[in-house]
Amino acid sequence: MAQDSDDREMEDAAPGAEANESTNGDFIKEKQRLRLLPGSTDTAASFAFEKEDHTLGNALRYMIMKNPEVEFCGYSIPHPSEAVMNLRIQTFDNVSVFEVLRKGLTDLADLCDVVEDKFTAARDEFDAAHPDGEEA
Amino acid sequence: MNMDYDQYNGMDGDDSGPRVVIRKANATTIDFALQHTTLALANSLRRTMLAEIPTLAIDLVEIHSNTSVLADEFLAHRLGLVPLSARDIGGLLYGRDCTCEDFCNDCAVFLRLSVENRSSNENVKIFAKHLTLEKRNGEAIDMTRDPYGRAATENEVELPPRGFPIIMDEKEQGPLICQLRRGQELKVRCIAKKGIAKEHAKWAPTAAIGFEYDPHNKLRHTQLWYEADVKEEWPDSKNVDWEEPSQEGERFQYEAEPNQFFINLEGTGVMPPDAILHNGIRTLQEKLANVIKGLRDTSDPSVPNGLDGGGSPMDGVMNGGGTQYGAHSAYGGGQSAYGEPGYSTAYGQGSVYGGGMATPYGSRGY
Repeated sequence: MAQDSDDREMEDAAPGAEANESTNGDFIKEKQRLRLLPGSTDTAASFAFEKEDHTLGNALRYMIMKNPEVEFCGYSIPHPSEAVMNLRIQTFDNVSVFEVLRKGLTDLADLCDVVEDKFTAARDEFDAAHPDGEEA
Repeated sequence: MNMDYDQYNGMDGDDSGPRVVIRKANATTIDFALQHTTLALANSLRRTMLAEIPTLAIDLVEIHSNTSVLADEFLAHRLGLVPLSARDIGGLLYGRDCTCEDFCNDCAVFLRLSVENRSSNENVKIFAKHLTLEKRNGEAIDMTRDPYGRAATENEVELPPRGFPIIMDEKEQGPLICQLRRGQELKVRCIAKKGIAKEHAKWAPTAAIGFEYDPHNKLRHTQLWYEADVKEEWPDSKNVDWEEPSQEGERFQYEAEPNQFFINLEGTGVMPPDAILHNGIRTLQEKLANVIKGLRDTSDPSVPNGLDGGGSPMDGVMNGGGTQYGAHSAYGGGQSAYGEPGYSTAYGQGSVYGGGMATPYGSRGY
């Protein structure tokens, strides 16, 4: 009999629920490009950046190493055929790795600003000194 | 901003920090020296300028008629390499980001090439100057406004509008694309799109970037090969006068780091070399901003993300202490020293550092 069996009737979904709905619409398209590798803690963490290479890795590593709270910082590219860059940060005492990473990123952005400003100033100076466009 | 300068050499004032000295400049090339920065930044900038600055190049070719001696794909390849003006390229969307179904005027530039050799006994040469621009519906764009507008001073060559072929030779013809014998014709419609050199070298805005540091090898970053005598066999670089040569008997400075970089930036003409450098820096900063955004988004525990490190390798190791990091798990495995067990993110709310605010480097408004 129908009541004795374990079969259940499948009910229609509740109104308003959709098959592939995500809590944040933007994340459907964009895959997460920054991952935390297993075994990471709050003071010693490895990150995996997708679609990144030495262009970001070396500059970021340099900037993070400038931070005296950082015990270790290094990056590697596990395989050249795969666009993944791993970055490991270890900090002394109770400093958060994520804060260190954020600081490194913002400091690098500031350094880029400074270089750009200096270049613009030098360029304007050069143009003013060479109005006919001669070479130095 | 001054606080950040202190990291670099602890001095105040304009003399500290990076410096740029421009040595030569013309319409295509800038030769400058970048001082007081690090090799890491100079190299990242070089890499970005070579490979990641968005430019415009022909990406799709619709062949209506091709009776020339060159194969369709051969021709399409050559057309892709024709330099097109990248003025205001920031205003053009990437094809993948545009909401249109096919291509539209917001994400592509349409060009037409239509040449026929009806009756000439000499080969008709097709140059880049024969490319004409049009809108998506076929409406032609006026190219009579001097597209190769050269201002009075060499330094200020004004770039033609976006999509115009760059013509820099004195005969004002541009690169040779194809030749046609009597009776042959070529009619194609080209669609140019935004892209970067990482995807294909046709999108590279640079012809070459010369990059040198430490002309006297005082840092010993290299060991010059020689047969009999190093100094005789290796010619001086043109930057030798900009640094002190090593003195006789001078000790090797093992802690010295590269400080001055001689960069010769040569563009293809699709954007002025200043723009190449500014766009290079801006692209680098956008990369950093994207990472910061990725970090910030993953701080929000309500959003599903990959920052939890992936499930399977960790599932059996939660409380077993199998990792070499003192059996600490970021996933609230009950042994974490950083807050109550069971919360899934290791930072953001509830962190011991007062929400990540009070670092010795000052508070951050995250």
